[in-house]
Amino acid sequence: MKAVDFDYAQPATLDAALELLAREDVMVRPVAGSQSLGPMLNLRLAQPELLVDITRIAELRTIRQEGDRLVIGACVTHARLEDGDYPDVTRGVLPSVAAVIAYRAVRNRGTIGGSLAHADPAADWVNVLTALGADVVIAGTGGRRSVPMTDFILGVFETALQPGEIVAEIHVPALSDRARWGYYKVCRKTGEFSHATGAVLIDPARGVQRCVAGATSGKPVVIDGPALFADGCTEAAMAAHLAGSPAADDPIALRTHTVALKRAIAQVMS
Amino acid sequence: MSTHAKTISLTINGTRVEASVPPRQHLGDFLRERELLTGTHLGCEHGVCGACTILIDGEPARSCITFAVACDGRSVTTVEGLDDDPVAAELREAFSAEHGLQCGFCTPGMLVAARDVVLRRPDADNPAIRTAMSGNLCRCTGYVGIVNAIRRVIDARNTNAG
Amino acid sequence: MGEVSTAGSGVGARVRRKEDDRLLRGRGRFVGDIALVGMKELAFVRSPVAHATITGIEIPEEHRGTVFTWADLAAGGVKPIRAVSGLPGFKVSEQPALADGKVRFVGEPVAVCVAATRAEAEDIAASVFVDYAELPVNSDMLEAVTPGAPKVHDHWPDNVFLETNVGGTIAEIAATAPVKVSRTIRTARQCMVPLEGKGVVAHWDRHVEQLVLTTSTQMPHIVRAGLSECLDLDQGLIRVVAPDVGGGFGWKGLLQPEEIVAAWIAMRLDRPVRWTEDRREHLVAAANAREHHYEITAYADARGRLLGIEADAWVDAGAYSVYPFSACLEAAQVGSILPGPYDFAHYRCRTFSVCTNKPPIVPYRGVARTGVCFAMEQMIDAVADAVGREPWQVRLENLVPPEKMPFDNVTKKHFDSGDYPESVRRAVAAIELDGWRARQKAGEADGRLIGVGFATYCEQSAHGTAVYHGWGIPMVPGHEQAQARITPDGGLELRVGVQSHGQSMETTFAQVAHEVLGIPLEKIKLVHGDTGLTPYSTGTWGSRSMVMAGGAVATACRTLAERLRRIGAHLMQAGPEAVVLEEGSVKAGAAAVTIREIAHTWYRAPQLLPADVDRGGLEVTAGYKPGSDHGTFSYATHAVAVAVDPEIGQVEILDYVVVEDAGTMVNPMVVDGQIYGGVAQGVGTALYERMPYDAEGQPLASTFADYLIPGFTEVPHVRIIHMLTPSPYTEFGVKGIGEGGAIAPPAAICNAINDALKPLGVTVTNAPMTPEVILCAIAETRGAA
Repeated sequence: MKAVDFDYAQPATLDAALELLAREDVMVRPVAGSQSLGPMLNLRLAQPELLVDITRIAELRTIRQEGDRLVIGACVTHARLEDGDYPDVTRGVLPSVAAVIAYRAVRNRGTIGGSLAHADPAADWVNVLTALGADVVIAGTGGRRSVPMTDFILGVFETALQPGEIVAEIHVPALSDRARWGYYKVCRKTGEFSHATGAVLIDPARGVQRCVAGATSGKPVVIDGPALFADGCTEAAMAAHLAGSPAADDPIALRTHTVALKRAIAQVMS
Repeated sequence: MSTHAKTISLTINGTRVEASVPPRQHLGDFLRERELLTGTHLGCEHGVCGACTILIDGEPARSCITFAVACDGRSVTTVEGLDDDPVAAELREAFSAEHGLQCGFCTPGMLVAARDVVLRRPDADNPAIRTAMSGNLCRCTGYVGIVNAIRRVIDARNTNAG
Repeated sequence: MGEVSTAGSGVGARVRRKEDDRLLRGRGRFVGDIALVGMKELAFVRSPVAHATITGIEIPEEHRGTVFTWADLAAGGVKPIRAVSGLPGFKVSEQPALADGKVRFVGEPVAVCVAATRAEAEDIAASVFVDYAELPVNSDMLEAVTPGAPKVHDHWPDNVFLETNVGGTIAEIAATAPVKVSRTIRTARQCMVPLEGKGVVAHWDRHVEQLVLTTSTQMPHIVRAGLSECLDLDQGLIRVVAPDVGGGFGWKGLLQPEEIVAAWIAMRLDRPVRWTEDRREHLVAAANAREHHYEITAYADARGRLLGIEADAWVDAGAYSVYPFSACLEAAQVGSILPGPYDFAHYRCRTFSVCTNKPPIVPYRGVARTGVCFAMEQMIDAVADAVGREPWQVRLENLVPPEKMPFDNVTKKHFDSGDYPESVRRAVAAIELDGWRARQKAGEADGRLIGVGFATYCEQSAHGTAVYHGWGIPMVPGHEQAQARITPDGGLELRVGVQSHGQSMETTFAQVAHEVLGIPLEKIKLVHGDTGLTPYSTGTWGSRSMVMAGGAVATACRTLAERLRRIGAHLMQAGPEAVVLEEGSVKAGAAAVTIREIAHTWYRAPQLLPADVDRGGLEVTAGYKPGSDHGTFSYATHAVAVAVDPEIGQVEILDYVVVEDAGTMVNPMVVDGQIYGGVAQGVGTALYERMPYDAEGQPLASTFADYLIPGFTEVPHVRIIHMLTPSPYTEFGVKGIGEGGAIAPPAAICNAINDALKPLGVTVTNAPMTPEVILCAIAETRGAA
């Protein structure tokens, strides 16, 4: 179980990386912590000709506060987000979520940007950052663009990234001090992939009532929160809101997603 | 025999090493095949079982899904490099007393992960130990002896600190 | 008997393991750690389809000479693996080490590629093009036995390796029994998953003119026998060595095609070669086990006293018969052990070993007992439900009582000793059943449902000659041998043909020797796992090593003790009857000579020896067999409390108790470790592990992301209570214990889940009991209501 022979570059600047990623003569892929790509390479599910390692690019490893937003570089590791050496505008959401991603040895290498670019529907950041209303800053040789999470994840392993582009930053809006957060994952084992994820953010001060059903067969399902709460937030109402979505492929899946959402909402209500 | 071989320079168990590596060679294979540090075991090569866990710059990492070429300039510690580490010594003693190993194949990764738990989670109760260790699989022990061994080390350190 | 102590470091002592230090420092030596000068690596081209004719193999020009197929091996005289059973009607499969014109399961090796590194060998494998003409597939054993099913082996009349019929007619009981309950019960196909996969290093040793196969095996002597047959090479020209082995559980108890290929390539190229089984190969291409299907009916009286059991059982044995255990051992065992630890009179069981387009199955820890216990213990609970009694009460009603021991059951199994009902009573007390029943009644705040389940089994271990002779498979255990040699400095070397891969034999056999000779553990060295250095043995399987090889070690040490006493007496000028061997010295009253001094005399001062000294000296090979050929019977009752989340189908184990009787324990710490580990695997069987196949025979799990084995948070902190009934037939009264832990958990957990789901009217009968299985069962019951 060994990877195909590939070339490797470790540029020191974002511009140098983007230049390599723009090459059209070889099959090129960016890599950060290699915690998702590494297994795919070993299994030969990914067979690139050139890997561009972006983890030595200093600006991608920074976390800074910009007004009411936290700007997280793509190569910030889950472990750093777990340990919390930054002004956490999410009032604990980021560290608590980071702490339940896979295992510590994986969190030490795996990055938030890599996780988003990989776009596994079961991934924590894919669903949590959708619920938090984050934006993704994408960098390419043509410049930068900011995309809301709801438009960034397009499907299973599908994102808005164009060839040659990488995730550069994630912008997470600050929560008000009245904000309440609920998060529930259905996993068969600790650290295992989620089979149904419920993520709920209620932040009245900012007029946010966002419910997300994740780990679906498609992109995260964002439910119209106000409508759901207006419907009394019953199980039947949740199921109705999920009907027809990638969370409702079969009755068992719909049931499990409804329960995950219900339990996340219960955390908010308690 | 890769046409893409890169020269890397890193510290392994305290010793400076310079090597030419094919980029596709993962760190586990590099340590085992080139450096003959066969204490690092490969149990799945896709990052789940934890047998290959080593330290990179002091932090636990999977050597099977980390490529050697990405470790240029880093400091890598394997189980062979923990002979004189005080926490590892306490864990070895406790693993033996509590029968925390049988075939011994998962053991090097277990020790590296357990050392991290002891250092990072001195307050851990048994359920917390289990959760923190959940990235390492063992097929022999049923985990009881391993949990008891980590418990013993944490308790002893807390008692001595108190 | 009568030599058992609990203190010191002999039999019964909880001493630390001699193996630990090297393993804790990463200084063990597993197959993958071995590198020989000039060694090449192997990678296999494996079939991507389950059933096909190979119409062509294209090897790129530049790789000719580094890729080999069956045509090359056959031209070199290599023969297919034939694992025949002597049972009447057994159909023989021939398994070529590389596919011979036809592939019969996904993952079957088709060609082998040789390169300097594994990565490069895989590159070559990817460049080999094989043309497959696909054939219809048997992916399910019940469909494979229907008329018109495609045939796995063209010349067979059907897809059944063997049908067996055990017991007689029970029509009369069936017609009159007050209680009749029937179930359809199934266990999934599993993978064994030792953390170390298989691995082989093969080379030709020019000095001794031997093929040396260093392989991750539990049975080096049997691998040598099989290699000899397939390579047509004298056994004397083959040496098989097992180094440190990273777990086996049955998977390393067979001759593998890859071992044959590696051996042949090493001789053909005159180069050392290595093959390391990677995890995908392990999960997809091999190591399968445990796929049973039962249609079973229990007959009982109104108290729940069993009157009879009637069953049909199918085992999906896969495409080929494995060497040495054959394709029929599992199903044949079902027929003979389904009655479990119970005393009842009427029994009929028909079994089918079915051939399908899946990898061959291999006996996995507990072999058929895990499936049998899963079926039988569900029936006990079903009977209890039918008669309105607690399941533990119905167990007490039917278990063989201690006053009937030793006891021959309905299939003529000879239960040696013990108090089976007491194990149930202690389990009921230890799990604190009343407390759980009260909590059940009160209901849980979080809506989860509480359930308690029990399972009792007895396990024949250290099988004797007769049963294996009866099966007529390539391996029949006879007398087990051990060599014991006092070294010139007064230490002890032990040589055994069994192989330790986690069982701690370097420690426990030393304890046995210490018990007899008094030599300190640190001066006792165990040599094992090497056909060149140890007496013949069928190896480590079937919970036999401590009973058989431990017995042989004790026997050899006793002979040594007698010789030491005689020399010692002579040195002290005492009569042989006047001396004792104690604490490592021969003593005559106040006088004493140490074993070290006696060893010095034999090796370096032979002029001082008595004229009639035994010329065998201080080296003995002794054979051993227990007093009964029926093996030992350890037994246990497992009790488990679970919480079932009816909304998402998840099961949490809240408490788990094992009440176990393994007879005399040589090292209680090691016994506990075996039980803990077995239970963890049983939890996997119960709740997590399933190797699914689709209708085309494609395996749907190929990584640890799809094939879940239990981790730290999925396995409970098991509590063990020991009962100690020495076996009347063995040295020290030991019984086999290695497999037991893995037998009962699926049954106990299933019974607990069904106890929890009772208010919903839901019953699950298939393992693993995944969230999907539980949710579907709940949904079906709701739909039916």
